[in-house]
Amino acid sequence: MAKKRHVIVGGGTAGLNAITTIREYDKGESEVVLVAGEWPYSRMVLPYFLGRSISETHVFTATSPRMAELGIQYASGDANTVAPAGEMSPLVSRFIPRRATALDTKNNKLTLDDGSIVDYDDLLIATGSSATRPPVPGADGDNIYNLWTLDDAKGVLSHIKDGMDVAMIGAGFISFTILNGVLSHGVKLHIVEIMPQVLPRMVDKDGATLVEDWLTQRGVNIHTNTAVQSIEDIDGRKKLVMGDGTDIIVDLVIMGTGIRTNLGWLEGSGIDIDQGILVDDHLRSNIPNVYAAGDVAQGAELITGSREVHAIEPTAMEHGRIVGANMASRDIAYRGSLLMNILDIIDLNIASFGNWISDSEDTSVLLVTRDHVYRKLIWDGDRITGAIIMGPSRALWTTNDVGMLKGLIQSRVHLGDWKRYLHENLRDIKKPFVASHITRDMLPIKTLDHPTIPSREVTARN
Amino acid sequence: MNKVLKIIPEQCTGCMRCEMACSYMQTGVYQPSKSVIRVSPFEKHTSYSPYTCFQCEEAWCLAACPVEAITISAVGAKIVIEDQCVGCKLCTIACPYGTIFYDTDTHKAFKCNLCGGEPACAEACPTAAIQWVEAEVQDWQGEFAAQRGNVHLVGFST
Repeated sequence: MAKKRHVIVGGGTAGLNAITTIREYDKGESEVVLVAGEWPYSRMVLPYFLGRSISETHVFTATSPRMAELGIQYASGDANTVAPAGEMSPLVSRFIPRRATALDTKNNKLTLDDGSIVDYDDLLIATGSSATRPPVPGADGDNIYNLWTLDDAKGVLSHIKDGMDVAMIGAGFISFTILNGVLSHGVKLHIVEIMPQVLPRMVDKDGATLVEDWLTQRGVNIHTNTAVQSIEDIDGRKKLVMGDGTDIIVDLVIMGTGIRTNLGWLEGSGIDIDQGILVDDHLRSNIPNVYAAGDVAQGAELITGSREVHAIEPTAMEHGRIVGANMASRDIAYRGSLLMNILDIIDLNIASFGNWISDSEDTSVLLVTRDHVYRKLIWDGDRITGAIIMGPSRALWTTNDVGMLKGLIQSRVHLGDWKRYLHENLRDIKKPFVASHITRDMLPIKTLDHPTIPSREVTARN
Repeated sequence: MNKVLKIIPEQCTGCMRCEMACSYMQTGVYQPSKSVIRVSPFEKHTSYSPYTCFQCEEAWCLAACPVEAITISAVGAKIVIEDQCVGCKLCTIACPYGTIFYDTDTHKAFKCNLCGGEPACAEACPTAAIQWVEAEVQDWQGEFAAQRGNVHLVGFST
């Protein structure tokens, strides 16, 4: 009998976690085909590559030996050698360095960009997102980079030099993840944001004001509430013509203006798509043998249960593990993912969880402007549904309380009288946390049906 | 059965020897800010409890790490491989217990590694409030804190 063939489309966090989890369960018994345009690497660590604190090899999540351990061979190009429709595949598991262009869910066939066809028994769509550029004249010129892929990072690294002026267009989470890396090159940074504040989807106005002040004190120029009208070449430099009448002259432009999920290739596939691919509690699409994970999946959010596209690393990781287990014929339901982000901005630590952007009047706030300290809890009755926590990394309690704050939200604990206590003592998170038996409630929780093991151990035993 | 760090908060006097021993063992300096076991006061400093990683089975930190910089040691501790850690802090928002930290000097994550099987905190504790014994890990502090929390709230505080 032919081995069951799992096809994984996309080699990012979701895809790699799915493959590792399949192998965790089946110990190499199934056929796994990874279709990905490039060698799998971690986008999460690109900022550290950009900042030169790690080498390029550190970025890759699946090297050749690692793939071999997972029972997957690199098929260098000719995907046409994959078994034609209807034939039993003679091939072992493989990594095909191609992009998918079409999906035929009626006949279980995936078309690749060289026209070849891959048959599957079940398939995971984990094609992630791509960076977008604003429709601004000159935005596609020289010395303008996105910072989304490894190639983007290499492009910036080849160009950036000490003493340069660098513009970062877009002050969202993605831009801010690379801020330290960019500044480590000794450049003068100019941040441009069309919204009235930086980090519009990570912190509220009060939080953003602290971040802007922190950055300004450290020599970063911030231009909010203004848009780039055009980018012009001027004496080998770049002139950003701004909507507010000012010009910004720089040597290098980095675009952080947004991402778009890679779903266009699914047109006509019959997969239900809203903001992303709508998935059920096993991360299946409307087609039972087609799963979706990571940025392309619109799955359950932990607190409300409503289906959302998160496009964050932790959700991609959880999605990947759940899908991998279900592809390996386990029956693992997904509780939903908690939206969360963390940033270090020149040693200012910022984390936010859940519905931190909320119109709720029921909040608890601690704001110490001088110290750049900000804590905000969003309440739903006596439960916390969202939070922002910010402060200098060297103020130990900032970083120390981040995890417990996550536990307070993730556990959905009813805090009872502790709500009043927290409202009045927002620095003392530990006491309500410990006294609310969150540890007792959380210790039995497992994402899969067994304790987590390191993926190195998974590969070692295959 | 694995050995675990069993905490008996009722026996803790708040002497902080565990924090000193832990930081010395982990970093070579007596520096509580580098300790991964942390003693907190309860009920207006009438009582105290140590708190550290439960080495939970879900290993939220390990699963969250994008570069496999966290693994499991021979004695069952979830440990940070320093060379591999890039300092992205994802583990610090994944752990719901708040027991993995970020070191602003090394720019790496750090956490309890059970001192390779001979935990310095347990050895240093003069009242056996911290014990290295075979047991099922559990919520050692919850009931202790809940009782003291109530006293605090019904009027002994000012």
